[in-house]
Amino acid sequence: MALLRTEDVTKTFGALTAVNRVTLAVEEGTLHSIIGPNGAGKTTLFNLLTGQAPPTSGRILFDGRDITGTPPQRIAHLGIARSFQRTNVFPALSVLDNVWVAVFARSRRRGLGWRPADRYPDLTERALAALGEVGLGDNARRAARELSHGEQRQLELAIALAAAPRLLLLDEPAAGLSPDETRKMVALVRGLKGRYTIVLIEHKMDIIMTISDRVSVMHFGSLIAEGTPAEIQRHAEVRRAYLGGIVAP
Amino acid sequence: MSRAWIAILAAVVLLPMLVRHAIATEIWIFAIFGLGLNLLLGYTGLLSFGQATFFGSAAYVGGYLLKHGGVNVLLVLALGIVVGAVSAAAVGYLCVQRSGLYFIMLTFALNQMFYFTAYQWTSVTGGEDGMPGIPRPAFLGLRLSEPLAYYVFVAACFVIALGIMKRVVESPLGKILQAIRENEVRAQAIGYDARRFKLLAFVIGGAFSGLAGVLYAMLFGIVPLEAIGFVFSGNVVFGTLIGGSGSLYGPVIGAFVFIWLSESVSVIWQRWPLLLGVAFVIVVLFFRGGLVEAWDRLATWWSVRRLRGVAET
Amino acid sequence: MNPSLLFSQILNGIVTGMLYALMGIGLSIITGILNIPNFAHGALFALGAYLIYTVIQALGNFWLALAVAPLGVALLGLLIEYAGIRPLYRAGHDYQLLLTFGLSLIITEGIIVVWGPIGMSQLPPALLRGGVDLGITIYPKYRLFVMAMAGLLVLGAWLFLEKTRYGAIMRAGIEDKEMVSLLGIDIHRLFTAAFGLGAYLAGISGALTAPIRGLNPLMGVDMLGIAFVVVALGGLGNLPGAIVAGLMIGVAQSLVALVWPEASVAVIFAVMAAVLLVRPQGLFGIR
Repeated sequence: MALLRTEDVTKTFGALTAVNRVTLAVEEGTLHSIIGPNGAGKTTLFNLLTGQAPPTSGRILFDGRDITGTPPQRIAHLGIARSFQRTNVFPALSVLDNVWVAVFARSRRRGLGWRPADRYPDLTERALAALGEVGLGDNARRAARELSHGEQRQLELAIALAAAPRLLLLDEPAAGLSPDETRKMVALVRGLKGRYTIVLIEHKMDIIMTISDRVSVMHFGSLIAEGTPAEIQRHAEVRRAYLGGIVAP
Repeated sequence: MSRAWIAILAAVVLLPMLVRHAIATEIWIFAIFGLGLNLLLGYTGLLSFGQATFFGSAAYVGGYLLKHGGVNVLLVLALGIVVGAVSAAAVGYLCVQRSGLYFIMLTFALNQMFYFTAYQWTSVTGGEDGMPGIPRPAFLGLRLSEPLAYYVFVAACFVIALGIMKRVVESPLGKILQAIRENEVRAQAIGYDARRFKLLAFVIGGAFSGLAGVLYAMLFGIVPLEAIGFVFSGNVVFGTLIGGSGSLYGPVIGAFVFIWLSESVSVIWQRWPLLLGVAFVIVVLFFRGGLVEAWDRLATWWSVRRLRGVAET
Repeated sequence: MNPSLLFSQILNGIVTGMLYALMGIGLSIITGILNIPNFAHGALFALGAYLIYTVIQALGNFWLALAVAPLGVALLGLLIEYAGIRPLYRAGHDYQLLLTFGLSLIITEGIIVVWGPIGMSQLPPALLRGGVDLGITIYPKYRLFVMAMAGLLVLGAWLFLEKTRYGAIMRAGIEDKEMVSLLGIDIHRLFTAAFGLGAYLAGISGALTAPIRGLNPLMGVDMLGIAFVVVALGGLGNLPGAIVAGLMIGVAQSLVALVWPEASVAVIFAVMAAVLLVRPQGLFGIR
């Protein structure tokens, strides 16, 4: 069964249709990529999925449950976590605290807690594990704003992982990274594959084609094709719209 | 025990030997007031210009009860805390719906609503003349009417309040509020309802303001109309900023400086708010970063001097 | 209730409401363009009233004073922006607030030092003394003049913002400051001009108010909260919003004054609280 399903999801801003009747199914355990040129509506689609904005029409189902219009803080508790295209961390907080607050958010059955925050050894351990996973284990005590851009992208991912999500939405995790850093990030995402259900927005075709199970192509707000990476590469319309003109594979 | 606590306890003991008891007491009351504001200003990033609403409401309710009821002092304090928290919940509920400049203006406008209510409700508040004749009944054999006894009582309240606030900001709540201050969108995305937490910060801050308000009414035996006015709201913002809103102890330092400053200028000239305004402008234009920055410079200078002294011997 | 009294109270509400709107528009221009909390706006209003009083004393001509006094306030506004606020654009709202709050204390206390703590009264100009028979009631000429004058000023502000090039730049400055500086416009000059214009509107509101309510040093503080209410309800940079909000609280205040005079000021804020309970984003749902 599909873990995430959208039915005719549409978002308009005035006269502009940013997302146009998108119907999508993401199977549990797969890595599903969404590609498309800039302005195709990919990030807007993510914003609809995570409740940052309500869709104009259509339905979003997560695990069979209608989550259309649910606000972001509730979406997070359902087990959907996202990373942002523009780095979106807590600059003055330590790297550990950045992740710790995300871990704590998802373990809040115990209430708010009166103990000092550093006396939750299990939560701190989980936060450190998430940092270790993205390769930031040695930077836990630094302030997030002191990290390099590449490290902040890693932290961005760690915050999403810390929520132990059932569905992970990654918005261009390699945005603005050097070739070397990009290789590291791709290896990282590859390592997550199979353990999480992942929806990945990416520009770089070589990344998409090597790590995706399914690929959906967005163009001017609509889905124009969907299939395995091999099918997408053969797809004539996609080649015209995207592969041919803008990015060579 | 940490160095900060040793310094605080030393200050508690030494202060009444250095200044008049009333001034020493006022400093700790203002510090409690500042602690409450700083949970909003420093930790949550909410610039509330309406803290006198909670301070003044609690002062009036506490003063009224002491005047008419002959109630237990602890009960009055507890009620003052509740009044502060409840009024902050009501005001906060409206304010946290908006952000930025709208937020600041709303806190001020709602402060004015309470002010004009107190101004006109003369049968209870005494309006412009204030609510005089508030007694300080004895408490557990401590004759609070004695200035030193009352000082001890207030200082104990302050130490407890500081301990509680320290615990609050070090608890997960403190981290969550800072996360909201740093990046509200992301805090929502990882599962926190930012408005609810901002409201919670308001309620806790309001409780501290309420405690300070009742202690203030008991100190002077009167609730002046200014206690619920915007100037008080501005003073606590100023005190907290010069002390440094970045740390738990900033407002405590700010309380010292502010009370000292206002006591010194008020003896110079009857129109001392003008001098206070000048002080605000000078601090903002020339000493931004507050005393913490000035303190750092002094500390550097001092350690350099000491090192030199060591080198010379 | 006496219909003539009710009618004249509604007119009173419209007059004060227009003055509130004018204050709100001035504040809105400053706050919206400079992105600062202006706690000195009320003090500028009071200064406008005291300046017109003094100029009338000196020159004996109301009309000349009405032209000069607000300009004096505008000049002070230019100075405040240039010397005080300009160094603080990157400093955060807390320090900007302290500065404008400090200035407000200085101006208010300065008024007490110069003009004394006791309230004063100011007569309208000879031409506008007495009343006009409106059929239902006899209504003071001067208040009708203020209504018209405030209406003209609001219209002028609207024409300026909507129809002139500089106004368009100011509106763009409220929406998107980066774009304005990309257009090659000196953003600092825009900020100074905006503060001057906002201060002018505060000053002329004060000048027009003086013959109605008289003068007292705290008149500015009372007006500051009201200007905030207008902006919170009407929205930053929203002229129709400011007019609707101003008239709403002005009329509400006048009507409550008939039945429960003690509550007539608090009701302004109560109306705001009630509106925000139903519509947290203000009357027109901006930001």
